[in-house]
Amino acid sequence: MIPEALVVDRGVSAGDSWLTVDPAKVHDALSALKDEGYSLLVFLTCVDHLLDSSRNWPARYELLYELRNLETREQVRVRAFVDGDPPHIDSVHDLFPPANWDERETYDMFGVVFENHPDLTRILMPDDWVGHPLRRDYPVGGEVVEFSEEHETWQTAPEKA
Amino acid sequence: MTTEIGQGITVDRTGETGAFGGELLTVNFGPHHPSTHGVLRLVVDLDGEQVKRIKPVIGYLHTGIEKQMEALRWQQGVVVTDRHDYLSPPINNLAYALAVERLMGVEVPPRAQALRVIMCELTRLSSHLVWMGTSGLELGAMSMLMYCFRDRDTIMDMNEEISGFRMHTSYIRPGGVFADATPRFLDMLDRFTAKTMTKNVDEYEALLTDNPIWRRRTIGIGRLSAEDAKVLGATGPMLRGSGVAWDLRKAMPYSGYENYDFEIATSDLCDCYGRYLVRIKEMRESVKILRQALDRLPDGPINVDDRKMLPPPREELETSMEAVIHHFKLFTEGYSVPPGDVYVAVESGRGENGCYISSDGTHKPRRVKFRSASFVNLQALERMALNHFIADMIAIIGTADTVLGDCDR
Amino acid sequence: MGIEALAESLGQNFLTTTLGKLVGWGRGNSVWPAQFGLACCAIEMIATATAGVDIGRFGSEAFRASPRQSDLMIVSGRVSQKMAPILRTIYDQMPEPKWVISMGACASTGGVFNNYALLQGVDKIVPVDVYIPGCPPRPEDLLNALMILQERIKAQGILPRQ
Repeated sequence: MIPEALVVDRGVSAGDSWLTVDPAKVHDALSALKDEGYSLLVFLTCVDHLLDSSRNWPARYELLYELRNLETREQVRVRAFVDGDPPHIDSVHDLFPPANWDERETYDMFGVVFENHPDLTRILMPDDWVGHPLRRDYPVGGEVVEFSEEHETWQTAPEKA
Repeated sequence: MTTEIGQGITVDRTGETGAFGGELLTVNFGPHHPSTHGVLRLVVDLDGEQVKRIKPVIGYLHTGIEKQMEALRWQQGVVVTDRHDYLSPPINNLAYALAVERLMGVEVPPRAQALRVIMCELTRLSSHLVWMGTSGLELGAMSMLMYCFRDRDTIMDMNEEISGFRMHTSYIRPGGVFADATPRFLDMLDRFTAKTMTKNVDEYEALLTDNPIWRRRTIGIGRLSAEDAKVLGATGPMLRGSGVAWDLRKAMPYSGYENYDFEIATSDLCDCYGRYLVRIKEMRESVKILRQALDRLPDGPINVDDRKMLPPPREELETSMEAVIHHFKLFTEGYSVPPGDVYVAVESGRGENGCYISSDGTHKPRRVKFRSASFVNLQALERMALNHFIADMIAIIGTADTVLGDCDR
Repeated sequence: MGIEALAESLGQNFLTTTLGKLVGWGRGNSVWPAQFGLACCAIEMIATATAGVDIGRFGSEAFRASPRQSDLMIVSGRVSQKMAPILRTIYDQMPEPKWVISMGACASTGGVFNNYALLQGVDKIVPVDVYIPGCPPRPEDLLNALMILQERIKAQGILPRQ
């Protein structure tokens, strides 16, 4: 069982159970869950909660680890909230090999730095790209579409960013 | 020299010198290469003709789909999901639609569920056909391409009949499906499942299964043991070709797949030939599912009865003021989805394709993440192709069936 | 052999034309495309080459794996910022005379993806001769584009490109 000391909060969202852990202890928490039988890391990603007033977020970046137990078919989503520029968190590629590329992608897209990652380089964007495209203060880009007010907002990042 | 690539999985690398004291040759393979199934680039270290190290470089088809989804309204996002894994558009639609429906707390009527299953299985067939045609071509069986695309064209005609479009149907949308099946579509499907496809799968087997060239090029090539496949997170035919009976349609059923009688195709061979056998079996099972879905296609509505989510029918617009208001609201600002996050996984032709959505309660998603099977399966490439000849690497990339649009998003 | 004797020996088997027309006819009916698949449209491009549609009827069935042997680049699909320099390199490697078909909405304008990752139209880096709308276009659309291109090649003759 995952030690209760590691869990900050837990709940259910649209039928998916989740638990929040302290970002400094994410490696311990995932290791405990892996011993419990959650052997597959389905995906790892990040959500940028910049200017998101729908809920009370502890920090800007939310890292998500979706784990699955292949025997019982249970799934759990582990969340960790980090702040900072760039945000730092421990890598879990030694626990789950598929995390290797997922972490590189998250670094590429959000600029989250994974400590102890063997090869933390850009994976999808060109190596000399500036910025992290999936951050909310990064504009969608592209070309201006005339007579489309909505598209103007794509070109620029949110005001308070 | 043995190097650990993670989790106790080791690969035998010869280091800087080859077996006979020569240097390793670094060869760039792709991104424009006819045998890489798209724009995959591999940096390969060769000792003579043997592959000693592979570094896949991806991102050449990065389309910014996830960022684009954040800028589109919920109902507009469907269009983008089609183009992510372009060999199985309705399956991606389904992942997105199911995720939005889970957040909204609605369930589509039985007829829509059956039509979704029909479209997904047709797509799985066409995806496997494209795979078999192109892989056959790469390994020297050029006639496979011609035969497979003949059947794919029949499926494209059916897509066109039901949705008006050949490839990117956008047929499955949050709240139901785009249009009801026409009698002509059902007639085509009947002929396709009863006669055409069952006969043609036999034909493909006659061309490949006992073909000595095909067997020599695939048997024993690209071995991936069941343990390694599980640890590396492989899904789909890659995992089932290693003897693990894991299929999301059975393991975690969605869209009424629990009501259909079909088997999980597995093979204990763990090599390229095993993956080929799995796909052939899956094609037969898909025809079986299509047959059952067609025979038991229930009557009834094809969309949820929710005016806040889907536009009212044309007739209602002329009589009801409320319908006009709903119509106006839907097409000017769209609907909003309650705050929350959800992950839905579906089985595509390549493995687990999932959709994670985080909503902040507005009319656009906060974050949409696609879990793509190709992205994860490609990481097993080094494990499979090491110490094989470079020509066998083509067979391994081919049978892994990566779609780079799916991989790079 | 005098000119009269030559004309007599050939009899009716005689055609007169300009060199431009002859070269245009030859070039136009043997446009060899580069095997350059990018995304969704590449699947339809393959479908165009197969038995059902059969691009071979127009002399273009020989998809060459090397840009050095091809006359036509069919940009079939979206071109990302990362792919753009490679696409240009491949174009530069093709020998003159060469033509480009921009297949599909993404290659022509960026399509539904008006964002940071994609090149908004391949005509920003290579000159395009024929654009095909559609996402993806039908195989018949590609054939139509090829026929339009053939007309142009035949009209161009031996003149250098404008």
